[in-house]
Amino acid sequence: MDTQPIISLSDVSKRFPVGDGEFTALKNINLSFQKAEFAGLVGPSGSGKTTLLNIIGSLDSPSEGKAVVMGKSISALSHRESALLRNHHIGFIFQIYNLLPVYTVFENVEFALLLQNRSADERKKAVMEALDWVGLSSMAHKRPDKLSGGEGQRVAIARAMVKRPAILLADEPTANLDAENAHIVLKMMKKLNKELDTTFLFSTHDEKVMKYLDRIVHLRDGKVEEDEIITTQQAAS
Amino acid sequence: MIRFLLKGILRDRSRSILPIIIISIGVMLTVALSGYMRGAFGDMIDQNARFSTGHVKIMSKAYAENQDQIPNDLALLGIGEMVEGLQQDYPDVEWVPRIRFGGLLDVPDESGNTRAQGPAAGMALDLLSPSSTEIERMNIDKSIVSGRVPQNPGEAIIGDEFARKLELSLGDVFTYFGTTMEGSMTFKSFTVVGTIRFGSIGMDKGMVIVDVSDAQMMLDMEDGAGEVLGFLKGGVYKDEVAVEMATAFNARYEGDEDEYAPEMFPLKAQNNLEGLLEYGETMSGLFVFIFVLAMSVVLWNTGLLGGLRRYNEFGIRLALGEAKHQIYRSMILEATIIGIIGSIVGTLIGLGLSYYMQVVGIDISEMITESSMIMPTVIRSKITPELFYIGFIPGVLAMVFGNMLAGRGIYKRETAKLFKELEV
Ligand SMILES: Nc1ncnc2c1ncn2[C@@H]1O[C@H](COP(=O)(O)OP(=O)(O)O)[C@@H](O)[C@H]1O
Ligand SMILES: [Mg+2]
Repeated sequence: MDTQPIISLSDVSKRFPVGDGEFTALKNINLSFQKAEFAGLVGPSGSGKTTLLNIIGSLDSPSEGKAVVMGKSISALSHRESALLRNHHIGFIFQIYNLLPVYTVFENVEFALLLQNRSADERKKAVMEALDWVGLSSMAHKRPDKLSGGEGQRVAIARAMVKRPAILLADEPTANLDAENAHIVLKMMKKLNKELDTTFLFSTHDEKVMKYLDRIVHLRDGKVEEDEIITTQQAAS
Repeated sequence: MIRFLLKGILRDRSRSILPIIIISIGVMLTVALSGYMRGAFGDMIDQNARFSTGHVKIMSKAYAENQDQIPNDLALLGIGEMVEGLQQDYPDVEWVPRIRFGGLLDVPDESGNTRAQGPAAGMALDLLSPSSTEIERMNIDKSIVSGRVPQNPGEAIIGDEFARKLELSLGDVFTYFGTTMEGSMTFKSFTVVGTIRFGSIGMDKGMVIVDVSDAQMMLDMEDGAGEVLGFLKGGVYKDEVAVEMATAFNARYEGDEDEYAPEMFPLKAQNNLEGLLEYGETMSGLFVFIFVLAMSVVLWNTGLLGGLRRYNEFGIRLALGEAKHQIYRSMILEATIIGIIGSIVGTLIGLGLSYYMQVVGIDISEMITESSMIMPTVIRSKITPELFYIGFIPGVLAMVFGNMLAGRGIYKRETAKLFKELEV
């Protein structure tokens, strides 16, 4: 680990105002992730996984401590700067509500590139390539409501990956999928992780996901309980 | 990006239909109402000009001050020369002398005794000279109910209803009783050759129309006339031109103590028309203002609902790297597009309605039987160029304004709460 980490969290805490007091969702988190890692935050519901992903994704900022992503301190970013960081370097996949229902598969994937003001030709090429990665080129002009859950999640992967982000954050991406689709989706992500050197960071409590991970960070009550590196032999590929 | 938004608007009808309907209705009402007001006020001005005020009118100062009493003892004299001079000074204006007179109409029976009587509202205009423009201007040909236009001295047209009330038929003779310019009694007999209805309450009551030379003779006002009316060629009243003309004309007589000195009045300065026009404009302005306000409030609320409905969409877009101000801007852009669509639809429907109302009109004679104002009994809309934007601009503004208010919510939301249902 001689290179600069792509994500580095030092003493990160997050408190939410609740009623008259505060609720501490994250307590003194110290973690760093390298380029091209395939890691997961694992823990029961309410353990702070989503909160941590949101901070790394610059959707939220820490109450205390320092979160540095791609060399930028999250708390120091303006709205514009954090939007730019997300637009160019961070992809998101969520459990549900991933796709914009009024737009076709193609348009959903294209959206991120529209924000980057890329030319129509460039967009088309990149979108078709991304749909090819997830094996959905033929679905380009379908609306999301015509897709199965697994296909929807694959479109979400294509959309997150089309801009070739440095970091992909996936918040319980398999929670709504059956086992077969979960495996398809995970294999695709693992492959993209290898080919594009994208850092993948999951939040999950799904056993199936854990089998694919190279590193598992166990969270409980907003604290890192264990940071477990899985050797290459163990991890499925 | 606009293409992207357009697709969203077209595909997600629930996002666009309601605001489009609201805007269309509001814009349509504005356009139709404005068209109707414009028609009503335009016709009113036009009728006043033709029947009463001219585009400008010259009277003696003293006559002007007591115009209501038709003080013919204060009439202008030397009219022939005066009109000739005016015609030379203002070649773009047609000048015509008119005499108004009050008095009594007396209808005799076979033995010469009074059979019927009624107060007359007389008007004398140039009916007999071949070059006269008055018959056309007063629309006499078309307004005649029976009979014809006078062709000889001693002939008269009288109001159709008046004729019926007095049981006068074509060819009957009546006697006019009144006072001369000098104040002595006078009477003159006329033969009824036509009955007329102008469709204007103020005009039709007791109307008697005779030639100006007959009136001069009977009122003993040789080469005199109470009023000289000027009409801009083209027939359209232009306020600035009229005001400028009157100001220049009156400057010549400034300081003239002679109460018989002529004074020129632009249309607006007569018959309270200025107040009426201002009233009309204020009402239109007020309506448009209320409309923009009400629409804005309604659209603000629809915008708020839309924002709730699209909470998840905005969440995804935030995650994809759109900044809040970009989302806000795109909402305003969408609002503008929707506003434009709604305003186009509303304007078209409003214009259609106005066109229909321009052709058909609404008969208001029953409502204004008591009025002595010169106004048409059938009010028609008038399509003017302003109708193309008078509803359009407020329509777009209301939508944009409403959504600017509604869209502020985007700045208040926590970025971290991307999806609403997930929290439940
Ligand atoms: N915006 C918020 N306001 C108040 N409490 C919150 C907020 N977001 C998360 N929390 C609380 O923080 C804790 C951790 O939440 P979260 O990160 O969503 O957990 P996980 O994703 O592991 O299920 C939970 O108890 C949750 O109720
Ligand atoms: Mg969560």
